[in-house]
Amino acid sequence: MEVEIDEKDLKAAGAEAFFDGGRRGVRIHGWLIETRRNSILNSSTIQQWEQKLETSHLPEMVFGENTLVLKHLTSGTKIHFNAFDALSGWKQEALPPVEVPAAAKWKFRCKPSEQVILDYDYTFTTPYCGSGTIEIDKDLNGREVSEETRNLKWEDCKEQIDVAALSSKEPILFYDEVVLYEDELADNGVSLLTVKVRVMPSSWFLLLRFWLRVDGVLIRLRETRMHCVFGGSTNPIILRESCWRESTFQDLSAKGHPFDSAVYNDDPSIISQRLPIIMQKTQKLVIPS
Amino acid sequence: MDSNSHGNLDEQISQLMQCKPLSEQEVRGLCDKAKEILMEESNVQPVKSPVTICGDIHGQFHDLAELFRIGGKCPDTNYLFMGDYVDRGYYSVETVTLLVALKVRYRQRITILRGNHESRQITQVYGFYDECLRKYGSANVWKIFTDLFDYFPLTALVESEIFCLHGGLSPSIETLDNIRNFDRVQEVPHEGPMCDLLWSDPDDRCGWGISPRGAGYTFGQDISEQFNHTNNLKLIARAHQLVMEGYNWGHDQKVVTIFSAPNYCYRCGNMASILEVDDCKGHTFIQFEPAPRRGEPDVTRRTPDYFL
Repeated sequence: MEVEIDEKDLKAAGAEAFFDGGRRGVRIHGWLIETRRNSILNSSTIQQWEQKLETSHLPEMVFGENTLVLKHLTSGTKIHFNAFDALSGWKQEALPPVEVPAAAKWKFRCKPSEQVILDYDYTFTTPYCGSGTIEIDKDLNGREVSEETRNLKWEDCKEQIDVAALSSKEPILFYDEVVLYEDELADNGVSLLTVKVRVMPSSWFLLLRFWLRVDGVLIRLRETRMHCVFGGSTNPIILRESCWRESTFQDLSAKGHPFDSAVYNDDPSIISQRLPIIMQKTQKLVIPS
Repeated sequence: MDSNSHGNLDEQISQLMQCKPLSEQEVRGLCDKAKEILMEESNVQPVKSPVTICGDIHGQFHDLAELFRIGGKCPDTNYLFMGDYVDRGYYSVETVTLLVALKVRYRQRITILRGNHESRQITQVYGFYDECLRKYGSANVWKIFTDLFDYFPLTALVESEIFCLHGGLSPSIETLDNIRNFDRVQEVPHEGPMCDLLWSDPDDRCGWGISPRGAGYTFGQDISEQFNHTNNLKLIARAHQLVMEGYNWGHDQKVVTIFSAPNYCYRCGNMASILEVDDCKGHTFIQFEPAPRRGEPDVTRRTPDYFL
């Protein structure tokens, strides 16, 4: 559904929008929420990333400067999303390669002595569910200098994201979607990591989505949702739900779904229901005072 | 060809230059003529300098128009396109029709090679098939074009020293004569030398790399050096891969990747480039940015939605 962002809604919610070149965002209830976007990495930065990540293969489109940042100003709690951390996750998880259908017919025609097997996970599947730190400005001898950074403490929990509340059509004060990386798998499908956010008068909500389609072989959807209701005086709580779904084309077709890649070009939200859940967890983060 | 049919063709070209597609009947007539011309061409089509070498276009019609503004109009400038005219962008029909029309009109001035997207299978997944259905109400135009793609030459050789192709080298091909000898008039196979020429990529690692997908090769600098040496080549010019700067040298300047679709998929922010080879075989890269355009969706800023 399409909506227009209304100045009056911003004012009524005590929010302030800003826009500055590649940066845009909103300040609301002590949060600074912003996105930044730029082009794909240039060749020299790709080389630097390859060195740092100890790989010689990156997705063909790495939007290295694209980011979503949500910062709780008084506590210094910062939740953010970026391609580098996501690719570090990919490197660590290092799933075994998935063969494409053409592999069955493939004949190796070069001399074994001249042959190198490349065995990295070309789907760039990542367990990434966001980055987070607490940044505290330390007062050293009267000068505010360095920042101390701590990791966030997420705890498993029983609470769930209030989907009913999110379904109410309260005004959207800020919305954006950024791509972190994308690869066309040499025309064997798509691997896409994006994050989108919407900020309403009562809460913010985001969805990080890794979407993979290896044509004729596999569909994988790994989603992380975060929701934070703007509270009054209490410490804000962020709920984080991660849900991984996955199915082979074979299983989809056995269940009566089409075995045709073009059908799965659509919005992952629609296809999601057809995919069995393989992992699900909910966690919360209480923002310290 | 008599002057009247040139007249029709010139009208069709100027219509296409305005990004207006031809009728199905006109496409059929055009592709019949193109087929006769293309079937005469070699698997390793010889090309003279000066010529401007271009990479992937992917249906970005307005950027192709910008390419002609920057590189010079055809036939004032000679062109060599290295494939991938269709899929991904919004105007595959207009893009490929224009290039084929130019080929029919100025056969000595423009060379159009086959890319891996000039295939029945790939175009059904990545956009060209759907676009034909949308614009013509049936798959007939898609069928006409994909039948024609089988005749596109696979490689070209500029002044006997720059070897041009869409993808890259193959472990089954040692010499250019190997390529000259095979029957190219077929759908791009899933395996074999013809598939490699349209699909393979250069890699930092030496030797033949076997893709983790279980199909497809990469070739290292040692392979490029050996191939250039065997065939008395100075350079391999290829397309197939997106590069931020529009071109990218590899393998100690034995290989160059050229990509001519700026801001690929309307959001990558990359430059495009073309390679001008002059009378004296000197090389100049020209980079360009997307053409300013109207009426295309701005996919970089999406409209807010109540996603869950």
